[in-house]
Amino acid sequence: MAYASSVLVDKYLRTRKIPSTACSGCGLGMNHKIIVQAIAELGLETQDIIWGTSIGCAGRQTFGTWKGDGFAGTHGRVYAIARGLRVTLPPEKKLILTVGDGDAFGIGLLHLIHCARSNASMTVVVNDNLGYQSTGGQFGFTTPQGAKTDSSPYGMFEHNLMSEGMDVLDILKAAGATFLARHVAMEGQAVVETMKKAISNPGFSLVHMPYPCPTNFAARHLGSRVQVNIYNWIKDHAAPMGQEKPDTIWRTGIYHDARGARPEFSEHVWEAVNRIRRTGRL
Amino acid sequence: MKRFLETGNFAITEGAILAGCRFFCGYPITPATELAEAMSLRLPQVGGVYLQAEDECAAMHLCIGASLGGMKSMTATSGPGFILYADPYGWALGCETPMVVLNSGRVGPVSGITGAPGQGEFYLTRYPTQGGNFETVVLAPNSAQESMKVVVDAFYLSERLRMPITVLADQLITDGMEDISVPETEEEMKEMGFRVWPRSYHRGPDFYPATDALDIPPVQMGHNTGALCSDWTPTEEGYDIEEVEAHHKHAYRLIYKVRNNRHLFSDMHEKRHMGDDPDLVVVSFGTPSRVVNTAVDRARAEGLKVGALRLINLWPFPDELFRRRTTYLVVELNWDGQLVREVQRAAAEGSKVHFLGVCGDLPTIPDLMETFTKLLKNQPLSRKGWELEAW
Repeated sequence: MAYASSVLVDKYLRTRKIPSTACSGCGLGMNHKIIVQAIAELGLETQDIIWGTSIGCAGRQTFGTWKGDGFAGTHGRVYAIARGLRVTLPPEKKLILTVGDGDAFGIGLLHLIHCARSNASMTVVVNDNLGYQSTGGQFGFTTPQGAKTDSSPYGMFEHNLMSEGMDVLDILKAAGATFLARHVAMEGQAVVETMKKAISNPGFSLVHMPYPCPTNFAARHLGSRVQVNIYNWIKDHAAPMGQEKPDTIWRTGIYHDARGARPEFSEHVWEAVNRIRRTGRL
Repeated sequence: MKRFLETGNFAITEGAILAGCRFFCGYPITPATELAEAMSLRLPQVGGVYLQAEDECAAMHLCIGASLGGMKSMTATSGPGFILYADPYGWALGCETPMVVLNSGRVGPVSGITGAPGQGEFYLTRYPTQGGNFETVVLAPNSAQESMKVVVDAFYLSERLRMPITVLADQLITDGMEDISVPETEEEMKEMGFRVWPRSYHRGPDFYPATDALDIPPVQMGHNTGALCSDWTPTEEGYDIEEVEAHHKHAYRLIYKVRNNRHLFSDMHEKRHMGDDPDLVVVSFGTPSRVVNTAVDRARAEGLKVGALRLINLWPFPDELFRRRTTYLVVELNWDGQLVREVQRAAAEGSKVHFLGVCGDLPTIPDLMETFTKLLKNQPLSRKGWELEAW
């Protein structure tokens, strides 16, 4: 069932930080609401979830919003902190990380890959505003080809992890992630359903969610800060897998679902430790 | 008490376990590899976790995560890995996350010589991260046995001061084999002066009080206390804020919780033949101090009024040990002179401060004896040229 925002805020979020200080028209709140909606629909409480964030727009705007415990890592490192923290938490506690595209697919990619490799139980939601927007709007590693940004004034020409024939989710799948998906928030309840699967996966889940940045990305690439223009532009360039059009940038839906296929990192480690402690061998 | 003929790495591992460490995350690097190996063998036996990270930066971040979850944690490396701690070290200082970091010094810069001892990180351990506005605590043992006690002390201080503590060793301490006694009971630990402090967790809501108070339990995730910690300047509740007043409060805590509680570690030094106001005081830390001690004993036997001052607590620098006006000779395992700069700054007005550097090897007793004699006779230190120049 859909919850009114005010109900979700009352139950799960801190009014000191919500509404956030994000720019007018920023799409991050839509992603954020989808996550909290999924949490509500799963019947989880504040004590069930520890919320980690990165830096940049997505990290800073979501840090300290969760009523329970929360932490933020420096650029790209929150995955490594989360993996260490995972070892200490009981399996029923969930870790949710809201991070940005630069953090996850640029500076933090190595740590992210190792979270996937070890299948550490956490849900990483990569809120992709198509570049480094909190520093003014430079291209990132999933910025669409041809996009004009402050550091690609002639258009984005260097190949990146979303170039033709490439997909950052392929890397994570090969690394061992057990749940991978991509959505844009405009897809509504379908995204909530995917998010619920991601959060309930006893292993490493990642949901890639491009969202509109009117202030920097749209201003530079579309020449307009009118919110509806960038919302429509993203919507027009996203299509469910199997329904792609020639100009589709983001193929949406569940990309890889191997929930339960591999042992979870922390449980696997503790099982080994307990066996060694008891018997002296693995 | 059990006795072993073992390496410093063994002693450090046993010390960490006695102190309650149950999480170690490292990355192979000479000469700290054997410590990681020893931890991988021993920790599971006592119900602890050993993990190998993708790099040193991740290793210390995993320790942060484990500490945030309530486990006493430790990482170890050498210079080229220590430099990758810059990022997590700052985080752990800012969020006041207890843990122990060991740096086993080798010869630099960069990869340098992997299998020889060096002391090139005297200043780097003081400033292990950017931004300033913090104090650090650095302890330097000079033997395998002492490294065990120093690691136990480091865990104790990390809990009480709520911060990461660095143990600065060198290749000879971690890899060298020595006679080591490991206590088996709490009484034996007490007899050996081992101090242990248990982990507890903070219940909020003011997670970063702006005081110099000791024994404030660390912020911990997983108890639904509403705990918040981040890389940004925090409010007392842990929210990120961009206000200089909040920053001032936070910086006050990070600096003065250490400066105002130096009594916890200010006795960590060794004086040898220092009772009669010697004419020459030889200052050192770590492995070279053992050669210095022998040389000073010999100098005394020959009637030279020489004393030795060995620092275990390197940072905050113990200025008070240099209040007497005399001649100081600083012996270090580097050619550029690092400790000597602090001694020069701290030494009483009118003191003379000299430097004897060696790197990748230890100073020899004949070299030291010759230097003592020349300094006491006011002769120039010209024999080896630039490395013996007066500071």
